[in-house]
Amino acid sequence: MQVRSAFAIQRDVIFAIFIREISSRFGNNYAFGNVWLLLEPLVLMTVFIILFGFRDIATLGNIAPPVFIVITYVPFRMLWSSTMKKAMGAAGARGLFGFRQIRLFDVFLAHALIEGGVYLTVKSIILTTLLWFGLDALPSDPLLFLGYAATLWLFAVFFGILACMVSRIAKEVEKIINIMTLPLLLMSAVIYPITVVPAQYRNFFSYNPLAHASELLREAWIEGYVSPIADFEYLATWTLVLMAMAMSAYRLNWRWVIAT
Amino acid sequence: MISLQNVSKYYPTRFGPNYILKDLNIDIPDDRDIAILGRNGAGKTTLMRMIGGIDFPTRGRIVSDRFISWPLGIGSGFNGVMTGRENVRYVCRIHGVKDIKPVEEFVRDFSEIGENFDLPIGSYSSGMRMRYGFAVSMGFDFDTYLMDEIMAVGDADFKKKCSDTLKNKRETSNIILVSHNMDNIREHCNAAILLAYGRAEFYESVDQAIYRYMRS
Repeated sequence: MQVRSAFAIQRDVIFAIFIREISSRFGNNYAFGNVWLLLEPLVLMTVFIILFGFRDIATLGNIAPPVFIVITYVPFRMLWSSTMKKAMGAAGARGLFGFRQIRLFDVFLAHALIEGGVYLTVKSIILTTLLWFGLDALPSDPLLFLGYAATLWLFAVFFGILACMVSRIAKEVEKIINIMTLPLLLMSAVIYPITVVPAQYRNFFSYNPLAHASELLREAWIEGYVSPIADFEYLATWTLVLMAMAMSAYRLNWRWVIAT
Repeated sequence: MISLQNVSKYYPTRFGPNYILKDLNIDIPDDRDIAILGRNGAGKTTLMRMIGGIDFPTRGRIVSDRFISWPLGIGSGFNGVMTGRENVRYVCRIHGVKDIKPVEEFVRDFSEIGENFDLPIGSYSSGMRMRYGFAVSMGFDFDTYLMDEIMAVGDADFKKKCSDTLKNKRETSNIILVSHNMDNIREHCNAAILLAYGRAEFYESVDQAIYRYMRS
């Protein structure tokens, strides 16, 4: 045995969980095995794009409907929903805590990295496919878009950690959050631009940080679009507050959360 | 030295806190092989888990500068979907072992599970799983090995192999053993901790501890 620094241990553990998760999530029970890690979100996204993207829906500028759906729905579904739920359920993976090196936070980090990586890969595949079909599917400001996507991802991670901690006190929290997924999708300007909402109700939508995320992603993607509600500071403040709360809740609670 | 300082552990229940261990103060010396004795529910497994670092005292702390193994034998940290080989790699990565191949070979040979080594662990019988788990932990050089009832299953041949390996290991490291089999304890241990009446007592002599345990 070799003495390692705390940082080295954490790096090794995250890598180990990463590989374990990738090789066991679908594992040997599925005919296509690990390919499902990408195939599952790809199929989901494709179905949704076909359902909504080839109808006459409200878009902005000269953006084609399928591209319009891809801009916001893929981040919402993968960066927000999946990442948040993975973090929320991380404490349930009892089997992981059989080694002293593995702490709950490593599991959070590993899951967050996997979800982020899967998002980048799936998004690239979808965009390539759309480009293949002759649609203009490139962001006007890719770096800004990635920055906003990363903020949404952090928002989801910390929200999930906080939910995981709070659900120790009341398990119902998980139920409520799961029920809220669909209403949130409808309230967060994901499959429609905020401009279709009458001006007097936009104020109400602008309390929702996820609506800001959607609109910011659109601003970065669509040339010349200025959203009436988008405010990066608002989203960033939410993320920072969630981070502070998630970290303190974790610090106070982590022993109890993984107690058998 | 593994030093337990004012260690208390309780689980919250609807009747209030249920204390498993209360204000334990024990030093476990490096050069003794320790048996932990106690009736069901006395907190043997909890104590093992806390020494192994996968459970945590509610109050107090456990201090040690030794490399302590994971507690063998209790529902371990292996993944049932992954094969024996993949699980060995996983454990190697966690412990920072870069040279994985020799460990793989060692576990494969030692556990004598043959081709099953490349099949998912979930398909193993309980005996095979025990052999496998024991082999994996023997593949690493820990200072202290924690074992919870691991010699309860396995055929006579494998039991003998375990005993011989343990005797070898004990020259360089020590073991902490939970067992209800007094012969095992007499064979492998030369000191004991008796958990009874919500207290823990350290005994230099195993026979004395067993005598007290039988009458507790």
